[in-house]
Amino acid sequence: MRRLFTVIDFELKNYTQNKSFMITTILMAVVLFAASFLPRVVNLSSMTGVETESLFGGEDDGEETEDAGESSIFCYCDESGLIVSEEMFAEAFPNVIFVKKDDKKAVSEAVETGEAEAGFYVKDAFHYVYFVENSEMYDDTQMVFETVLTGLRKQAYLAEHGLDEAEFMENYEAPCEGELIVLGKDASENFWYCYALVIVIFMLIIMYGVMIATAVTNEKSNRSIEVLVTSVDAKYLLFGKVFAGALAVVVQTGSILAAVLIGYHINREAWGNKLDAVLHIPSEVLVTFAVFGIGGFLFYAFAYGAVGALVSKTEDINKVAGTVQMVIMAVYFIVLFTLNKPDGIVMKVCSFLPVSSYSAMFVRIAMGKVSMPEILISAVILYASIFFMGWLAAKIYRMGTLRYGNPIKITNALKSIGQKD
Amino acid sequence: MKLEVRNIRKSFGDKEILKGISFEAESGKALGLLGRNGAGKTTTIRILMDVFHASGGEVLLDGEKFDPRKVMIGYLPEERGLYPKKKVLDQMVYLARLRGVDKKKASENSMKWLRRLQVDEYAYKELETLSKGNQQKVQLASTLVCDPEIVILDEPFSGLDPVNSQILKDVVNELIEVGKIVIFSSHQMSYVEEFCRDIVIINHGEVILAGNLLEIKREYGKNQLVVSPVDGDLDRLAGWLAADFGKEVAVTGTNRTDVIIKLAEGVTRMQFFKALSDRAADAGIEIEHFETYKPSLNDIFVERVGEEEAEAVQETAQEQGNAQAGGGKHA
Repeated sequence: MRRLFTVIDFELKNYTQNKSFMITTILMAVVLFAASFLPRVVNLSSMTGVETESLFGGEDDGEETEDAGESSIFCYCDESGLIVSEEMFAEAFPNVIFVKKDDKKAVSEAVETGEAEAGFYVKDAFHYVYFVENSEMYDDTQMVFETVLTGLRKQAYLAEHGLDEAEFMENYEAPCEGELIVLGKDASENFWYCYALVIVIFMLIIMYGVMIATAVTNEKSNRSIEVLVTSVDAKYLLFGKVFAGALAVVVQTGSILAAVLIGYHINREAWGNKLDAVLHIPSEVLVTFAVFGIGGFLFYAFAYGAVGALVSKTEDINKVAGTVQMVIMAVYFIVLFTLNKPDGIVMKVCSFLPVSSYSAMFVRIAMGKVSMPEILISAVILYASIFFMGWLAAKIYRMGTLRYGNPIKITNALKSIGQKD
Repeated sequence: MKLEVRNIRKSFGDKEILKGISFEAESGKALGLLGRNGAGKTTTIRILMDVFHASGGEVLLDGEKFDPRKVMIGYLPEERGLYPKKKVLDQMVYLARLRGVDKKKASENSMKWLRRLQVDEYAYKELETLSKGNQQKVQLASTLVCDPEIVILDEPFSGLDPVNSQILKDVVNELIEVGKIVIFSSHQMSYVEEFCRDIVIINHGEVILAGNLLEIKREYGKNQLVVSPVDGDLDRLAGWLAADFGKEVAVTGTNRTDVIIKLAEGVTRMQFFKALSDRAADAGIEIEHFETYKPSLNDIFVERVGEEEAEAVQETAQEQGNAQAGGGKHA
């Protein structure tokens, strides 16, 4: 066992003595922690809704810039007679000057020549044409114009039928006021941090898994493997690498996550609770994330370690790691696509499979209905599978260590496990 | 300590690589493991080191089943390899600790061996920044860092210049003097002759010659003499000996300066010397040098392995001939 700790110690130093690892970890933790204090330093009231004393004083820059922004020119031609005044347009489009044109062609030409950024030809109360040179991905101009046009039509109708607009609005369009009391879990509230954590664990498995596979292959590539396997049991070498990788993940992710969550917790009021959906994560979800996340990481880390032993050159890793990566990707998409149905059959099945429980179970805990026995059973299945995967990976690792040359197929590796070398 | 390898067999699939290898190695003595490429030396060593499991046979240490992880072994594999991007001292300490040496002792031993091999100035440098020869010395230092009882060196001199070779020779001699078991695999026969009291020659997975090197040499040199001419014309001398002394001697070969001959049964050295003195002047040949033939290990190796190869070729030809004859009958 002492030799396992020797391997862990040595492998962990590969991470801690790696400047980019340390700088990234410390820098991200410090920057994100500092960023959580932003509302105390800069006035973000337009975003947070909370007026705070800014060290740099002044108004919210965002609003000011928008107000002081340059005006755009839109043109229009109205054949419906609805646009009796441009007042409503001025309210809806604060930085736009509307220029009236005589006909549809004039509107089109104005946009084409660049005289106007956009143009509208209103044929009648229910039909219009929107002209624009280049349509942007998220252009809401048309939607705003339609709202204004609908309002104008409503005004015209009320006026035509002698109805009082204020009275109509008060009775017809008055909003209902309701109160929502969630006795269980609020899926809408928990959705975003679940989404974020699924992505985080996916990224960690892929990133560190490849690092573990590379470390194993490097030892074959630089031929140090023969000295190593003749000095210590091969399973200690593999387990040491995987555990060191897991520790590095816990240290790096834990410190960055802790910096963000503690920072936000301290400044939650200053943020006006605006980031609760992502950063106010209940402790039981964090614990579940840690237990199942570490389990999932170990499971796949062993798989990556085994595939690393199947090749002799690091550039060949992708040839054999594809199968493992396909499974990880499939789990990732299945969990993300069924995130809005945490109690659905797909998520339930995924929460018990060792290949997917690392993300599916904590989603169920955060957003769905799950009993303690279910959680325990899933955890037991996951950790038992880790031991099995560790055993299998150690066998493949031992078998693959001194086989150089072409990549060994996973199927051949599995077949040869039972054979004596 | 006595390490005994008894009838080790190893097959990969249907191919039998080792066909019953046996030898012994003792403390304070070096054993030379020789053989052509692919003869089975490295496979034998890997079985000793438990990298491969033998298909049959056993390895014993002082009569007990040998477990390489329970004895301090320094193993220098043929395929050299350490971590190129790691500092020399860090990886040496790591390898010593993997072998069960505590951290303090591992650090002390690492510096001791780096100093002994004159590469201590690179202790805190990354391995890849060192020259090939110095990397080789670091590898050897890593082999010895655990104070091993058994030292297995597979081609230790490859890549070393004459100065570094001398340092390594001194180290190997010291290991032998302090009573370590040294198993030495090499193609460089001169080094094997220098260190090894005993040799084992493996060919096609079989031991074809084993024993005390001096005795083997004596046996091979028995009844053999070398004769060299003043004018250095070995072909003329060999031709004359074959023609005029056909009944007394047989010319078995030449080396750089001499013709090697074997005395016929019943012919003594004195008889031949007298006849040679009498007839050489008549033939116009002046003899410069005449002495007992002392074969080098290289000569023995080439002759022994060569014989095996010739026999193997003959056997194959005979088998093919039989097969063809058999095929003819059927036809």
